Amino acid sequence: MKSLAIAEIVLLQTFRQRSNYFFMIVFPALIILLLGAVFGSGFRPALGVLDSGSGPLGESLIEAIDALDALDVTRYSDERGLISAVERGRVGAGLVVPRGYDETLRNGGSAVLRFFTQPGSLVQRSAVEAAAAEQNLVFRSARFAQSEMEASPDKALAAAEQAARAVPGVGVRVTTTGQAQPFGDTGRFDRGASTQLLLFVFITSLTGSAALIESRRLGVARRMLSTPTPAVTIVAGQAMGHLGIAISQGLIIMLGSALIFGVEWGNPLGAALVLIVFSLVGTGAAMLLGSLFRSEQQAIPVAILVSLGLAALGGSMVPLEVFPDTMRTIANATPHAWGNRAFEELIGRNGGVGSILRELGVLGAFAAALLSLAAWRLHRTLTS
Amino acid sequence: MSSRFDASEASGLHDGGRPVLECRGLRKSFGSLVAVNGISFHISEGETYGLLGPNGAGKTTTISMVCGLLEQDEGEVLLDGTRFTPGSVKARAGLGLVPQELAVYPDLTARENLRFFARLYGLRGEDARRRIDEVLLLIGLTERADEVSKKYSGGMKRRLNVGIALLHRPRLLVLDEPTAGVDPQSRNAILEGVERLADEGVGILYTTHYMEEAERVCDRVGIVDAGEIKAEGTHRELVDIVGEFDQIQLTATGDLAAAVRALGEIGAVREASVRDGGIDLITVHAPDVLPDVFAKAAAANVLVRRVEVKEPNLEAVFLHLTGKALRD
Repeated sequence: MKSLAIAEIVLLQTFRQRSNYFFMIVFPALIILLLGAVFGSGFRPALGVLDSGSGPLGESLIEAIDALDALDVTRYSDERGLISAVERGRVGAGLVVPRGYDETLRNGGSAVLRFFTQPGSLVQRSAVEAAAAEQNLVFRSARFAQSEMEASPDKALAAAEQAARAVPGVGVRVTTTGQAQPFGDTGRFDRGASTQLLLFVFITSLTGSAALIESRRLGVARRMLSTPTPAVTIVAGQAMGHLGIAISQGLIIMLGSALIFGVEWGNPLGAALVLIVFSLVGTGAAMLLGSLFRSEQQAIPVAILVSLGLAALGGSMVPLEVFPDTMRTIANATPHAWGNRAFEELIGRNGGVGSILRELGVLGAFAAALLSLAAWRLHRTLTS
Repeated sequence: MSSRFDASEASGLHDGGRPVLECRGLRKSFGSLVAVNGISFHISEGETYGLLGPNGAGKTTTISMVCGLLEQDEGEVLLDGTRFTPGSVKARAGLGLVPQELAVYPDLTARENLRFFARLYGLRGEDARRRIDEVLLLIGLTERADEVSKKYSGGMKRRLNVGIALLHRPRLLVLDEPTAGVDPQSRNAILEGVERLADEGVGILYTTHYMEEAERVCDRVGIVDAGEIKAEGTHRELVDIVGEFDQIQLTATGDLAAAVRALGEIGAVREASVRDGGIDLITVHAPDVLPDVFAKAAAANVLVRRVEVKEPNLEAVFLHLTGKALRD
C-alpha cells in the first residue's frame, strides 16, 4: 500500500506539469503524422484532372487512369485552380484533357495532353503515360481496321475496343524470395507509430527521472525513510510510479494512433507485452538516471541525448533495414532495436507472441539489468 | 529572558521524566573527517533539548543517526529504551522528523502532502482525514490547504514542513533548524508550537544556530562544536560553568562619578563605570544586587530613569567554550 502511495505521487508530480501534456500527447501525434506523410507505406499519390469538354474518349482516358487504383484522382473545373493545387502541393501533378480531344482523335488529328507536375511526381506521370498509351493502342488498331476493312471510324473504334477487351491482359505474379520487407501492405502510419512509441516511451521515462531527482533534492525521499517505511518499499514505489509513466505514454500513443490514424498494432497480447517489457526498460533507465544525478538541470539534457541516440541507433528514426550490416549489429546493443523488431513482426508480418519471444527475452534482460542496478544505486543513495 | 532557563525550574521539571531518547557515544566519520565524535545526551518526556552550534558542527549528522537515516560507526541510540538502528522500521512510528530543507512536494497542495505522509505513517481513512484537518488547523493552513505549496510564502512552507512531522503524534519530535529563512511571525508561530508540544509531553530535539531560539524553547542545551558536545545543561548551568556575569545598565542623571564610586563598594559588583548618560555595572546575579544599587544611587543624588539587566547569553558561552562566534 505504501509503495502504491509513492507511485501515485510520482504520477501526480508528472501529470501536474502542464508541459508534459504537450510532450506526451501532442508531440508524438505530430511526429507520427509527419513520418506517416513522408515514409508511410499506404500513401497514394494525388493527380488533379481538368476535363474541359474533351468528349467520350477524354472521359474514357480519365476513367482508365482512375481505374489504375494507384492514384487519388481529383477533378478540377478550371485550369487556374488545377495549377494552384499543384503549386501548393495539394496534388502531386495535374492533367489537362483539352476541349475537342475526342473529335480531334476521331478526325485523325493529334491531341495534346498537358501535364503539370512538381519534381518527383513519377507515379502520376507513369500512370498518365500508361493510360494514354493504352488508349493510343486501341485507337491505332481502330485506324488500321478502318483502312483495311473500309469501315466507318465509329465502327472501327468499336471493333478495336471489343478486341482489346477480348485479349487477356498480361498477368504479373509477385513472389517473395528470402524475408519480405515488413510493413509492405500496412497502413500509412503503422511503421511511424511503432517506432515513435518506443522513442517516446523511453524519452518520457528518462525525462520523468526529474521527479525522482526532485524528491531527492528536496529531501522528501530521505524524509520518507524517517517514516515507518522500509527503503525497499520506497524503491519499489518509485519503480511502480515510473513504470506507470512509461505505460501511460505507450497507451496514449497506441490508443491515440489507432483512433486518429487507424494504426493497427497487430496481435494485442504481443503488443501489450512489448509495451510492458519496454516500459520496464525505460523505468530502469529512468531510476538509474534519477539516482545518479543531483539536479534536474544535469539529468534532462543527458536524458534527451541518450534517448535520441539510442532511438537513432535502434531504428526508431530510420528503419533498421536500411542500416549497413555493421550498424545493424551495433543496433543490437539498444533496447529500441529489439522493440522495433518485435513490432515489425507483430504489425508488419502479422506475427503472434510466439514469434517475438526472443525479442521479449532480450528486452526482459535489459529491464532486469537496469532495474537491479537502479534499485541498488537508489537504495544506496537514500541510506548513505 | 525565558523562565524556561531558570535552573531550578528546568531541572526539577524533567529529571524524573522517562527518557524518550538516549544517545550514547555516537561517532560518525566520512573518510578522514570525523563529523560526530562521541556525542551523548538524553531527552525526557516533555523536555526540549537543543543542540546549539554553528553550521558544520555535526548537528545534522547527529540527527540523521537519531532518526535512523545514517548508521553510526560507534555508539547507540535508544528510543523509549529500545535500541534503534536504520533497520528499526516500526520504531520510526514514534519519531517525527522536521528536516532542515523544505521536504515537501511543491506541485502538491498542503492537504495532498499531508495525505501522502499520513499514508506513510500508516494513517488511513477517517482517522487520516480528521488528523490532517487538525494539523492544518495547528499550522494555520486550513484556509489555503488546497493550494499547491509552491505558491506559499517561505513561512507557510516551513509550517507545512513541521506539520508533516506531527501527523502521527510522535513521542519524539526532531527539528533540524526549523526556522531557517522564515519571517518573524512564522518563526514565532513555530516556536509557540514547539512549546505547546513540549507541554503536551512530546520529547523534542531541536537544533539551531540561533542562540535566541535555543534560549527561548530549550530546557537544556548541548553546545556542539567540531562533532563534540562541549558543554551541556540549562541556561543558568551553562552560564555558571563559564563564570559569566550579568550586566546592569542604568540611564541616570546627577553626579554619576560619585555614584560609580559608591556602587563599586557593593560586594557583588565586579566593575562600575560611567558612560554617556548613565552607568554600567558588571555583577554577579543582578536581581540580588538591584536593591543595593538603587539605594546607593539615591544616596549619591543620582536620579535613575531606566534600568536594563542583561544576563550572559549562550553566544557568550559558546564564544568562551570554543573561541569562536556561533555564526563563524
